[in-house]
Amino acid sequence: MLSRPGLRSPRLRNVSLSPQRRLLNHFITHPAEPIPPPPSSSPSPKTFTLAVKDNIATTSPTLPTTCASAILSKSYTSPIEATIITQLRARGAVITGKTNLDEFGMGSHSIYSHYGPVSQDNPLQTSAGGSSGGSAVAVANGEVELALGTDTGGSVRLPAAYTGIIGYKPSYGMISRYGVIPYANSLDTVGFLSREISPIKELIVGERGLWKEHDSNDPTSLTEPARKRCAAQRKGYHGQGHAGELKGLKFGIPLEYNIAELDPQIRDAWAAAAKRLQDAGARIVPVSLPTTKHALAAYYIIAPAEASSNLAKYDGIRYGVRDTHASSDAAAGGVLYASTRGKGFGEEVKRRILLGSYTLSSEAMNNYFIKAQRVRRLVRRDFNRVFALDNPLQERETFELSDLPEEVEMEDKWGPEEVDFLLCPTAPTLAPKMKEVMEQQPVDAYMNDVFTVPASLAGLPAISIPMRVTAEGAAGLQLIGQYWDDARLLDVADAVGTELRTSRA
Amino acid sequence: MARIPTAELSRYLLNGQLTRRGCLRLRKYPLVPPISPSRRAFSASPSTPPPPEPPVIPLRKQLKDQAKAAKLSGAPHNKKNKKNTDNQTVPGWDLTVGIEIHAQLNTPHKLFSPASTPSAGEDAIPPNTRVAPFDLAIPGSQPLFQPTTLIPAIRAALALNCEIQPISRFDRKHYFHWDQPAGYQITQYYHPFARSGSVTLLPRDGIAPDDGPSVEIGIKQVQMEQDTAKTLAQPNSTHYLDFNRVGVPLVEMITEPCIHRPATAAAFVRKVQMLLKSVDACTSGMEQGGLRADVNVSVKREGETRLGTRTEIKNLSSFKAVEDAIIAERDRQIAVLEAGGKIEGETRGWSLGSTETRRLRGKEGEVDYRYMPDPDLGPVVIGEDLVERLGGTMGTLPDEEVEVLMRAYGLSERDAMALMQMEGRMEYFYGVLEELERMLGVTASKEGEQKHAILAANWCLHELGKLAEAEEVVVDNAGVEVLDASSRVPEQDLAAILFYLHQKNITAKVAKDLMWDVFRGTVVTGGVTEQIESQDLWYKEISEEQYIAIADEVIEGQEKVLQDFIRFKQGKSKAYPQGKLGFLVGKMMRAGPEQGKGMDPASAERVMRARIEEVYIPRSEGVE
Repeated sequence: MLSRPGLRSPRLRNVSLSPQRRLLNHFITHPAEPIPPPPSSSPSPKTFTLAVKDNIATTSPTLPTTCASAILSKSYTSPIEATIITQLRARGAVITGKTNLDEFGMGSHSIYSHYGPVSQDNPLQTSAGGSSGGSAVAVANGEVELALGTDTGGSVRLPAAYTGIIGYKPSYGMISRYGVIPYANSLDTVGFLSREISPIKELIVGERGLWKEHDSNDPTSLTEPARKRCAAQRKGYHGQGHAGELKGLKFGIPLEYNIAELDPQIRDAWAAAAKRLQDAGARIVPVSLPTTKHALAAYYIIAPAEASSNLAKYDGIRYGVRDTHASSDAAAGGVLYASTRGKGFGEEVKRRILLGSYTLSSEAMNNYFIKAQRVRRLVRRDFNRVFALDNPLQERETFELSDLPEEVEMEDKWGPEEVDFLLCPTAPTLAPKMKEVMEQQPVDAYMNDVFTVPASLAGLPAISIPMRVTAEGAAGLQLIGQYWDDARLLDVADAVGTELRTSRA
Repeated sequence: MARIPTAELSRYLLNGQLTRRGCLRLRKYPLVPPISPSRRAFSASPSTPPPPEPPVIPLRKQLKDQAKAAKLSGAPHNKKNKKNTDNQTVPGWDLTVGIEIHAQLNTPHKLFSPASTPSAGEDAIPPNTRVAPFDLAIPGSQPLFQPTTLIPAIRAALALNCEIQPISRFDRKHYFHWDQPAGYQITQYYHPFARSGSVTLLPRDGIAPDDGPSVEIGIKQVQMEQDTAKTLAQPNSTHYLDFNRVGVPLVEMITEPCIHRPATAAAFVRKVQMLLKSVDACTSGMEQGGLRADVNVSVKREGETRLGTRTEIKNLSSFKAVEDAIIAERDRQIAVLEAGGKIEGETRGWSLGSTETRRLRGKEGEVDYRYMPDPDLGPVVIGEDLVERLGGTMGTLPDEEVEVLMRAYGLSERDAMALMQMEGRMEYFYGVLEELERMLGVTASKEGEQKHAILAANWCLHELGKLAEAEEVVVDNAGVEVLDASSRVPEQDLAAILFYLHQKNITAKVAKDLMWDVFRGTVVTGGVTEQIESQDLWYKEISEEQYIAIADEVIEGQEKVLQDFIRFKQGKSKAYPQGKLGFLVGKMMRAGPEQGKGMDPASAERVMRARIEEVYIPRSEGVE
């Protein structure tokens, strides 16, 4: 078995780094000189290396921000720096480069990039997952200690699962999105990728914990009073020590996640993991999230709708690349934007813009966008029902017990047992082969997000940690927590990871 | 800021030296009427170039062009030249009009960025210097709602009697045009911040007589939204873009389709401008481009219950244009229907001075705006306390102010309305009046003495008006043309002139000459008395004997004229020969020293009349 299970996927064991870089194609911009943190007041923080997904704005002249799109390309250097970059640089981040992704974050395998597909092995054998595939590979390869990704519907967790590392999506509103180029604002979060949980934990809940920092530039960043109010209802934020005691914790197993498409190896690994936790003193409780089956469809309506709106700004006039060929431009009697946008956007981005434009059109709005928003509310309600903790941003709701599937056991007459975390696979399959991925219908690729999308729709914190599977191949085990339960989620995920690593069947 | 009634303000502030920069003051940077978004997108078909942005045409030029167009059409007698007042209804047909008005809010910041707004009165602001990253749609930048924009917005809605909504939201309205950097405009489509208002129009507001003693116009909703960039057309099909105005906050006010007379529609727009000005909610008026209107017009045969198909006329930028465009569109629709045709739901345009609306685009060219709630922006929560506070500090609204002018100062309704509507003129009137009353030691409202107030109003409106008509171009220190005569005649100087006139220390002619001198700058500020002194302009009336001597001198040899008076005396003619008397008085004034200096026409008339009665008629009767 693995020498260091969970830290390096089996496929990556024999990779020798330098010659692979070009072939793995995980960096879009990799300057010869890394960007050191700004000179800081004493005491200087301990530095660490950081790779940044290329849809997060950096201002250094050697770090253009491309979003892996021809419409921005390397000619675009952002005039604004993302707040998360400013925050991490102040904490000692040395930026080594900007990593490859699916254009504007739209994709599940990091293949829809103007700069070519990413792969986690050579030559282009296995999908690195997406859309933060470049960041995941940079971490899995050991090139950086930490990488930033963005997670809209699983874009950090999925590549983490495929490459065998940690991928963490914080609660929506905790980490500022200012300077994070939006794909779907209401779902986008900054995500963190690392081989271990501790550096992430240090950043989020350490002494200069990011959880405390409101950003006035981001209207969706929680205000300071709201942060304090939320944290007051949670453990782990105020140095109460390690909150990751497994004994007595309740983990929910969502019945609806046991889908037909789930790879049997993953199903077995999931069951084994649950068993391990039970042995370690945790309770495993079957729970029901009945709206799960509609969540993916709702996601693929809401996200493209917002994307079609967000991407309307790329016209090549104020920044980026403009197609000025005579027949294509307004001056010559053509359509001002059509050619610029037609040439600048890739296939998948165009597909989602069209999809979003349709679902927002007056004839389709009620049937798609409005319904999807309703589903989203139901998804959130499902989660609130199963978690023991309340969602601090929402009123308590009552539920009809008769809506629940029969398999769900009642704890008492009030309903089923409530849980601390949900435990489920991150993706239904192992990292697929690039060849398969390339031949897939686009909609088939959307399937990979089935387990990650619900937490995104509800704005909940979720983390993917490596999970052993019987065959050679990496898989992710996902833990989902109630809103703002991030501190405990990180502690518990750490404990679960240790438990899974140390236990031997 | 609360609005303090102007009268109170000018009384309170020293010497009435109150800035008269009202919100409808001249703007050097008018709000460009953006062409209708949908038209933009539609025109971008492969074969046609995008429509050129209509350049900002100053009103004066518009008027000139209008005159030119009228001349060119060379048909002064065609029926289109029928006076609007006679053209408010068409027998057998009902007209229905709804109006949307856009006004720029008077705020220091843009709607969603802390960048300052390029406001009126500032010297040329270099292009693209008032922009935050969000205004340029820099990727990763986010909207930051500026709560201060709520203050004028709520005031505007309250002035229109709206119900302020405790929760409102922002939506994105999508269309592609280069003046809209994000590819969408943020507006309030699904949940506007104010609903269900009304504006009452009275005859003095200029409603059509058929509308009776008053009309109530329902306001459906009021919403906040962003303005667009300004396009500066250059030679060689080049367009420069100035993003200073992108994101500047606007309010859009939408009426119910409840207007049935063209004049009433224009009166409504005028009244809204007046209301917005009085609560300090907007930056400038229609003629400066701070306000523009779109009208929806439909007609139906009398007795039909269902409204006809409506067309929309976009971007009307004057009150007259509103009325004229509605009349033209109504007549066009009626003509189409009478010829057995069908009205298409379409968007039409109107240019000043034309006689017909023109088709811009039909239904098939309409853009689906794909309204979507903005996912970055939370709801706007407006507390009742804020609404109460703003409502309680709004001060006197125009209708009340007009009443005060009429009741306390004895002004005619017409003059009171004129003062209300002329930019800054009412504040000026109060300033002059304040100073005049200080000098006279009287107060109009207290002592029931209104003569001086009426005098002041007359001069502020009519005599000052003549200065403006004189078309003498006056340029201020900064080299900017001054259009408002009142700013060239300081309040204290006009008050001094009126004081001496009221006291009969100078004649009306001298008073007018003095005002011209002040206007032209040949009399320094505060130098009126000195000017009268040094030029010896004081009115020193000649003695009764001198009047008699002049009268006798003038009547010499006027036996023929005298006959008229005799005939009247003898009952041979019914009317007193007032004209003949005036003729004689005129001769007296000319015969007097220095063309009537020191002579009062009234005294001259009195003396002449007495002489005729007492001396000449008896004398000639004696002769007979």
